[in-house]
Amino acid sequence: MKNSRFYIGLVGVAMVVTFLIWTGFDKAMVYYLTPVELMAKVAEDDTFHDIGVKVSGRVVEGSYEGAGAFEHYFSVMDLAREDASFRVEYRDILPDTFSDETEVVVEGRFRRDGVFEATTVLTKCGSRYEAMPDEMAG
Amino acid sequence: MILLGEFALWVALPVSIWGIVLAFVGGHRKRGDLVLSAERSVYAVFFLLCLTSLGIILAFLGEHYEYRYVWGYSSRELETYFKVTGLWAGQRGSLVFWVLLLTLFSSIAVFQNRRRNREFMPSVVGVLLTITAFFLGVLLFADVNPFERLPFTPANGQGLNPQLQNYWMTIHPPTLYLGFTSFSVPFAFGIAALVTGKTDSRWLVVTRRWTLLSWFFLTNGIIFGMRWAYEELGWGGYWFWDPVENASLLPWLTATAFLHSVMIQEHRGMLKMWNLSLVSLTFLLTIFATFLTRSGLIESVHSFAQNTRIAYIFLAFLGAATFACLLLILWRKDDLRAERTIESFLSRESAFLMNNLILLGSAFAVLWGTLFPLISEGFAGTKVAVGPAFFNRVNIPIGLVLLALTGIGPVIAWRRATRRNLERNFLPPLLMAAAVVAGLMIAGMRGFYALATFAICGFVLTILATEFWKGTRARARIEGEGLGKAFLHLIARNRRRWGGYIVHVGIVLMFAGFAGASFHTEIDQSVEPGDQIRAASPYGHEYVLTYQGLSSSRTPNMWQWVALMDVSRDGRRLGTITAEQRIYSTADQPIREVGIRSTPLEDVYVILAGVEDFEGALRNESSAQGAVFQVLVRPLVGWIWYGGLVITLGSLIALWPGAGGPARRKVRATPASARLAGV
Amino acid sequence: MMILLGAVLVAAAVVLYVVQPVFSGERASLASLDEEFTEAEARRHLSLVALRDVEYDFATGKVDERDYRRLRDELGREALDALREVQRSRDQAEDAPPAKDAVADDLEREIAAYRAALRSGTLCDRCGSANVAEALFCATCGRQLESERGEEAAAARGR
Repeated sequence: MKNSRFYIGLVGVAMVVTFLIWTGFDKAMVYYLTPVELMAKVAEDDTFHDIGVKVSGRVVEGSYEGAGAFEHYFSVMDLAREDASFRVEYRDILPDTFSDETEVVVEGRFRRDGVFEATTVLTKCGSRYEAMPDEMAG
Repeated sequence: MILLGEFALWVALPVSIWGIVLAFVGGHRKRGDLVLSAERSVYAVFFLLCLTSLGIILAFLGEHYEYRYVWGYSSRELETYFKVTGLWAGQRGSLVFWVLLLTLFSSIAVFQNRRRNREFMPSVVGVLLTITAFFLGVLLFADVNPFERLPFTPANGQGLNPQLQNYWMTIHPPTLYLGFTSFSVPFAFGIAALVTGKTDSRWLVVTRRWTLLSWFFLTNGIIFGMRWAYEELGWGGYWFWDPVENASLLPWLTATAFLHSVMIQEHRGMLKMWNLSLVSLTFLLTIFATFLTRSGLIESVHSFAQNTRIAYIFLAFLGAATFACLLLILWRKDDLRAERTIESFLSRESAFLMNNLILLGSAFAVLWGTLFPLISEGFAGTKVAVGPAFFNRVNIPIGLVLLALTGIGPVIAWRRATRRNLERNFLPPLLMAAAVVAGLMIAGMRGFYALATFAICGFVLTILATEFWKGTRARARIEGEGLGKAFLHLIARNRRRWGGYIVHVGIVLMFAGFAGASFHTEIDQSVEPGDQIRAASPYGHEYVLTYQGLSSSRTPNMWQWVALMDVSRDGRRLGTITAEQRIYSTADQPIREVGIRSTPLEDVYVILAGVEDFEGALRNESSAQGAVFQVLVRPLVGWIWYGGLVITLGSLIALWPGAGGPARRKVRATPASARLAGV
Repeated sequence: MMILLGAVLVAAAVVLYVVQPVFSGERASLASLDEEFTEAEARRHLSLVALRDVEYDFATGKVDERDYRRLRDELGREALDALREVQRSRDQAEDAPPAKDAVADDLEREIAAYRAALRSGTLCDRCGSANVAEALFCATCGRQLESERGEEAAAARGR
C-alpha cells in the first residue's frame, strides 16, 4: 500500500517530464535548413514563411551593407551551391567574428518579400582556427 | 625533446595494450606477477604521457611552427602563459591532456590501492587502460596527431583565438577534463565489482571520495565556463543551451544523481543495479561530452572543427562500452537484488529517489533536445533544432522541484518520517516562503517563476539554517561546548553531511542568481562625448553613464579602442567603466571586451558595440569619438559566482581527508579492545 | 643521434620496468589483506553510521519516540548480526572457536558500548572505537577524548 503510493509518485514524475518535453517542442521547434532546402520548402509549402527557421550558410563577399551598429543587411549563400542565396536583414549588434565569407547561422523568419528577418546571427569560428595550411601555402 | 615526446606517444599505446591483456589474464588466472606488470604499465603510460605533454609545451615555447598544432594555436606575439596553456587550447592537444589526466588519476588509484582492495584491481587496471588505449589510438590514427608536421616551416603561427585569451578560458577546460577523467575511477571500480561479483557496497565506500572529487571538478568547470561566457562573449548571458554546454551538463546531472543514490545503497542496501547503471551512464556521458566537442556532429558555436572519422570512432567506442556495461549488469542481475524495499513514501530514501528520477528526467530532456537535430534528420529527413526556449521550459520547473528537494531531503528521516514531525519541521520554512512572496509582491515584483524561485530559496535556506542551528545546539548541550566551538565540531564530525548541506546553500544562492535573469534591462544608444545613457535598474535606481571618449592604442599583437564611461547611481558618482574593442594582429575582426561593474545586487554591463569612424578613431582624432553602446543591467548575477564559491567550500569540507568522513575507519575493534572499551 | 639514444633509453627503461615482474616472479597480492574492510565489517560499520543518524534525527526532532525506539532496535540488531559475522570469520581465521554464548555476550556489550559512546560523545574521532563515558583517552588508539572535560565543564555550569 505504501509502496504503491511511491510508484504513483514515480509515474507522476515521469509523466510530468514527458509532458514538459512534449509541449516544449511545440513552442521552441525550429527547422534547421540550408539555403537550398529553405528555397525548396518555401516553394512547396507557403506556411514556411511564418515559422521559425535556422539557416546555415556563408556570407556572400561584398554583400554587406550597414547603417550604424543596429541595422545590417547582407546575403547568405549555400555552402555547396553559390546560386542559392537570399538577403538577410538584422537589427541588432552583429557578433564580433562576423565578416565576409564567414560561415553563419541565421535564425528568424523568411518573409514573403524574400528577405530573411533574422533575430539572431551566429558565426561559426571553430573552423577558422583549424584552417587548411595548404590554402596558406598556395 | 619534442621528438622524444612524439616517440613516447607511440610507445604508450603498446604499453597500455600490454597492460590490458595482462590485467585481465592475470585477474582471470590469479597470476599476481602479471597483475603487477599491468599495474606498472599504468605508471609507465603516465610517465610517457608526461614526456609527450612536455614535448608539446616545449614545441609551443620554442616556436616550432612546423608542427601544425603549434602553428594553429600560437604565434610569436602570444604571451608565454598562453603558450603553456596551448597544450589544451585545441583539439589535438586537449586530447593528449585528457589522456594525461586520465593516466594521472589511474596511477593515483593504483597507488592508493597497492595494498587494499586487491581483488578489484585487475579489472580496475584493465578498464582504465582500455580507456587510455582508446584515446591513444584516436590520437595516433584519426588525423589528430599533435605532432603532425606541415610540409614547410611557417615563419609565424596563426595565433590563438582572442576569445580564448582569457583567464577563465585557460582554467575552464582543464577543470572540466579533471572532472571527466576522474570519473573513470569510480566507473572502473563499478565494473570491477561486476566482474568479481562483489557487488555489495564496498566499491561505493572505496570510490566515494573519487565521485565527490569528480563532481567537484565538474561543477567548477561548468561555473568557470559560465564565467567565461559572461565576461568574454559579450552578450551579457552565461548560459546558452549550446550543445557543448549541454554536453558538460549531462554528466553533471547524472553524477549528482549518483552522489545521492549511493547514500541510499549505503544506508539501506537498495538500488545496487541502479547505482551501477548510473555510474556507467555518467562515464558514458563524459565520453560523449568529450566526443561532442570534437566531432562537429552537432552544430555548435564553440565546437572544434569537423572531423567525421573521429565521430565514427567515438560512436563505435560508446556503443561497445554501452553494450559491455549492459551485458555485465544483466549477467550479475541476480546478485543485484535489493536487500530491502522502500518502507514509506515519506522517507529520505524516497526523496532521494525522486531527486534521482528528476535529475535523470532533466538529463534526458537535455540529451533529447541536443540530439534532436540528428534524430529528426535520421527519421524525418529534415533537421529540426530546438532553441533555448525548449530547454528553459523543461528545465526551469524541474530545477525548481530539485531546489525544493535540496531543502526537503535533509529534513525527512531515513526509513519513515511521521506526518506530525513533518508538519512541525515544514511549517516555519513554509511560512518563510509565504513571507518572501508577500514581501516581494508588495515591493512590486511580478512574474511567476521569479517569485517561485525566491520563495523556494527562502524555504530551503530556512530549513538549512534550522538544521545547522539544531545540530549545533544538540552538540553544545551534549558536549557542553560553546556554540561557536560546537558548530565547528559539528561540521568536522560528519563532514559529508554538513559539507553537503553547505553545497545546498551554494545551490540556493545560484538559483537566486538565475532568477535575476527575469529582470534584465537593456539599452542600446549611439553617443558623442558628454552624452549620457540612462539605464533603470529593477530596484528603482537609475544609472547614468556619461560617455567620456575614446582612446586608441596599439600593442605588438593588437589594436585597441578603449571607451571610458563615468558611472553614477541616483546622482552619486560610483566610478568609471571601460569597454574595449580589440583587433588582434592574427584575426581581422574586432573582439569586444566588456566593462562590468559588479555589486552584490546587480551588474552594470557595458558593451562597446561599434565605433562610428574607425579610421579617425585609430588616429585618435577628436572629431571621431562617436560610438555605439549597449548597456545592460543584470540583477543578482554576482550570486551565481558567490554560490559557486560556497559550493566549492562545501565540497572541500566533504572531501577533506582524515577522520570525520564516517566510513573511513580502517582500524578494527578487536574483541580485546571492545572488552576494554565496553565492559 | 642524442635523441635516438634518449628514445632507446626511455623505451628500454619502460619495457624493463613493466616486464620485470613476469620474469622475476615478483607478484602483486590478489586477495584482501587482513586489515581491510570485509563485507561484514562494512555492514557493521554502515549500521553503526545509520544508528548515529537515527540518534541525530531523534535529537533534532525528525523522528518521534516510537519510531526512534523501533529503528534503534532494528539497527542494533543489524549491527549485531554483522558483528557476529565479523567475529565468526575472524575465529575461523584463528581456528579457535570460542564458546558461542561468550561471543554473543561480547558483542552485545560492544553494541551497548557503541550506543553509550554515541550518546556521550566518547566515540573516538580517529579510529571510531567506542569508549566508556569516563575515558580520557581512546582505548584503541590513544587519542585524547575531549568530551570528558567538556561534560565536567557543563556540570560545573550547573546543567
